[in-house]
Amino acid sequence: MTRDEIREQVEQVFQDVFQDDDVRLRDDMTANDVEGWDSLMHVNLIIALEKRLAIKFAAAEISRLTEPGQNVGNLLDLVMRKRSQRA
Amino acid sequence: MKTATPTSDRLLDLSERFLSGPSGETQSAFITLLKELRLAIAVGHFDDASRVLQRTISPSLDYTSALALYRIRKDLRGRVTQPISLRLAVLGGFTTTQITGFIDLCLFALGIEAHIYESDFGVFRQEILAADSPLYEFQPQVVWIGVSRRDLAHRPTIGNRGNAAQAVVDAERNEWASLWAAVNQHGGCHVIQNNFVLPPWRACSNYEMREEGTFGRYLADVNRALADEPPPYVTIHDTDHLAAAAGRWSWDDPRFAHHAKLPCAPEHLLDYAYNVASLLAVQVGVTKKCLVLDLDNTLWGGVIGDDGLGGIRLGHGTAEGEAFLAFQDYARTLQQRGILLAVCSKNTEETARDVFVNHPEMLLRLEDISSFKANWDDKATNLQAIAAELNIGLNSLVFVDDNPAERAIVRRFTPDVAVPELPDDAAGYIEAIERHRYFQTLSIAAEDLQRAQYYRTDALRKAVQTSAVDLNTFLQSLAMTAQISPVTTASLERTVQLIQRSNQFNLTTRRYSAAEVLERVSDPLSVTATVSLSDRFGDNGLISIAFASPKNEALEIDLWLMSCRVLKRGVEHCLLNHLCAIAKSGGLVKLRGEYVPTPKNGMVRRHYADLGFTEVESDETGRTVWELELDTWEPLPHFIAIQVASETETT
Repeated sequence: MTRDEIREQVEQVFQDVFQDDDVRLRDDMTANDVEGWDSLMHVNLIIALEKRLAIKFAAAEISRLTEPGQNVGNLLDLVMRKRSQRA
Repeated sequence: MKTATPTSDRLLDLSERFLSGPSGETQSAFITLLKELRLAIAVGHFDDASRVLQRTISPSLDYTSALALYRIRKDLRGRVTQPISLRLAVLGGFTTTQITGFIDLCLFALGIEAHIYESDFGVFRQEILAADSPLYEFQPQVVWIGVSRRDLAHRPTIGNRGNAAQAVVDAERNEWASLWAAVNQHGGCHVIQNNFVLPPWRACSNYEMREEGTFGRYLADVNRALADEPPPYVTIHDTDHLAAAAGRWSWDDPRFAHHAKLPCAPEHLLDYAYNVASLLAVQVGVTKKCLVLDLDNTLWGGVIGDDGLGGIRLGHGTAEGEAFLAFQDYARTLQQRGILLAVCSKNTEETARDVFVNHPEMLLRLEDISSFKANWDDKATNLQAIAAELNIGLNSLVFVDDNPAERAIVRRFTPDVAVPELPDDAAGYIEAIERHRYFQTLSIAAEDLQRAQYYRTDALRKAVQTSAVDLNTFLQSLAMTAQISPVTTASLERTVQLIQRSNQFNLTTRRYSAAEVLERVSDPLSVTATVSLSDRFGDNGLISIAFASPKNEALEIDLWLMSCRVLKRGVEHCLLNHLCAIAKSGGLVKLRGEYVPTPKNGMVRRHYADLGFTEVESDETGRTVWELELDTWEPLPHFIAIQVASETETT
C-alpha cells in the first residue's frame, strides 16, 4: 500500500469512528484539530484501525500517539511501517 | 443527492439486509442503515428508529459497529418510552465507560430504559462504605461491582499451603462479603458481583491447580468461595466463564489494560455486556421461557416430507447428523432445567410427529414438546397460537429457524418474538443462540426442574375437565391440597423468581428483589403468604404469592400474583380467606387491594370486583383501589383442602 492509499483507509476509519464524513486528514493535524478526539475516542480509533488494517499496535505506541508533538503524520508513518512488516 | 425521508419499511428492510443478507453486502447495508437511522431521528421518527435499532442489536456486532449503534441509542434517550425502567449503579475497578454504554445498549434492545450511575474509576470501596455517598443518593435497584483480578485485596504466596493458603482465600472472600453487607445496609438493593478471571499464564504450568499458593489456584478458590452460598441479594457474575469460553489469551488484551484499564480485549466487551445485561433483565422480569423450534434443517438435515424417515440426516455416523444430534441435546438440556420447548414447522402434522415417535436417533421426544404446531399456516400465526396455548407472552418466545425468509417474516409480523440469526451450518446453532443469553436465570428452583411435568399433567387435567359434567364436579375430582405459608428460607428463591416472571395474573407487577423480600419477611408487621398446590395428578409447586401490611385499620395488599397454570381452580378464594383471617385476628376492619394496569395484566382488572371488593379510588392511568369490609364478610367457597404452615423457620 502506498502512503496515499494508507491515508485513504485511515481517513475512512476516522470518518466512521467520529461519525463525520467531512474529516480530511493532513499530516500536521493533531488531536486538537479533530472534534471529540479525547482519550476514550483514541482507544476507539486504535481498535477500529487495528481491525480495518489488520495490524497491531504495541502498548507503548498506543500511548505515545497521545503525547504532545505527535500528529496524524506520525500515525500514518506508524501504520505504513506495520503494513510493510506484515507483507 | 437528495435523500427521501426514511420510512419504517425501508429501515426494516435495511436492518434485515444487514442481519441476514449476503455476507458481501452486510457492511454497506450497515453504513446505509446508520445514515438512515440518524436521518429518521433528525426528522423526528423516534419510534421507528427505536424499533429498528432494537432488532439490529446483536451479539455478533464488532466493537466499532456496536459503538456506532450505541451513539444512536444515546440520540434516542428521552425521546422514546420503554415499557420497563431500571436504576443501575456501576462500580468499576476498571474503566467502565465502554462496557456501561454497551450494557445500556443491550438493555435498550430488551425494552429496558436504564438510568445509570457510574462511579469514578477505582473508588468503589469508598462509595460502598460511606452511607452518604452519591451512590446511595442515586437509589439504585441494582449495584454491579465490576471488578477484575487487579482489584483483589490479597495476593497468595507460592509455598503457602493448607490452613495458611485457606486463610488468605477466606480473607479475600470476607473482604467482598463485607462490601455486599454495606450495600445491603445502606442501599437495600441487589448486588451483582464479578468473580475473577484466571490469567492465561501460569507460574506452575500444568501443576498450577494442584499448588495452593499459585495465583491461578487462588483465583479458582476465591471464585468457588464467592459462589458458595452468597446471600440471597447477591448474584455472582461468572466473568471467568466468559474468558474461558472466549479463550484466555484472546480475552486478555494487556495492551488495553495497561493503556486504558479496559477489563478485556475490546472485541469481547459486547459479549461481556450481554452477559451482565441479561442478569439485570431477569431482575426486572424480562426473560425468555420457551424455545420454539422449526423442524426441517433445524432439528435434522433434510426435509421429512421429501426425504422420508430414512432420508433425513440425524444421528451418529455423519458429521451433519451428529451436528443436529448435538443441537437436540442442547435443547433437551434446556428443557430439563425448565425452559419449555415448542415446535413450529410447515409440515403435515402426522409426518412431523412420526419422526419424534419412530426415528431411532431422535433425542427429543413428543413428551418434551409442550406445544406442537406442524401445519401450513404462516409461522407468525402459529407463534401466537403457541404463546396462547402455553399462557405466556410472545416476548417470552425464542424462535429458531434455519430459513432466513421465515426469520424475516416472523421479525416483521411478530416483532416481540426473539429471532436469532443462525449460520448455514448446524454445527454453529448452539453458539448462535447461546450468545444472546436468552435463558438467563438467577436461580434454579425445584419448580424449574418440574416445569415440563407440570405442563404434561395439565394436559391430563384438561382431558378430565372435558369429561366432567360441570366445573364443580371437575374441581372436586382434582382432590386439591394447598399449603399456605409465609416466605421461608426454602421458598425464598422460588418466591423471588415468581415475582420476577409473572406478568398476566399480577395485580401490581412490583418486581421485588430478594433483598426487598427479605426485608418484608423480617418485618413483624408485614404479611407474606405463598401458596403451593398439589392435586391427584401431581404437585404444581409454589404458584401464588401475596404481600400485605396493616395501614389505617386495613390490611393493604401491595402484591398479589399467581402462575397462570392454576387459573380458575379456586386458589384466589383460598388466599383471600387466608388474608381476611389474618386481618381479623390482627383487629383490622378491612382489606385494601390495588390494581396497576400493564400491557399484560388485563386478565386481573376485575380481580377485586370478582372477590367482592368495592372500588374506592381510580385515576387516569387506569389504576384502581378496592376495599372489602370485614364485619359482614363470609369466607369464600372452594374445593381445596388447606394446610396453613405456622411461622416457623422464617429467615
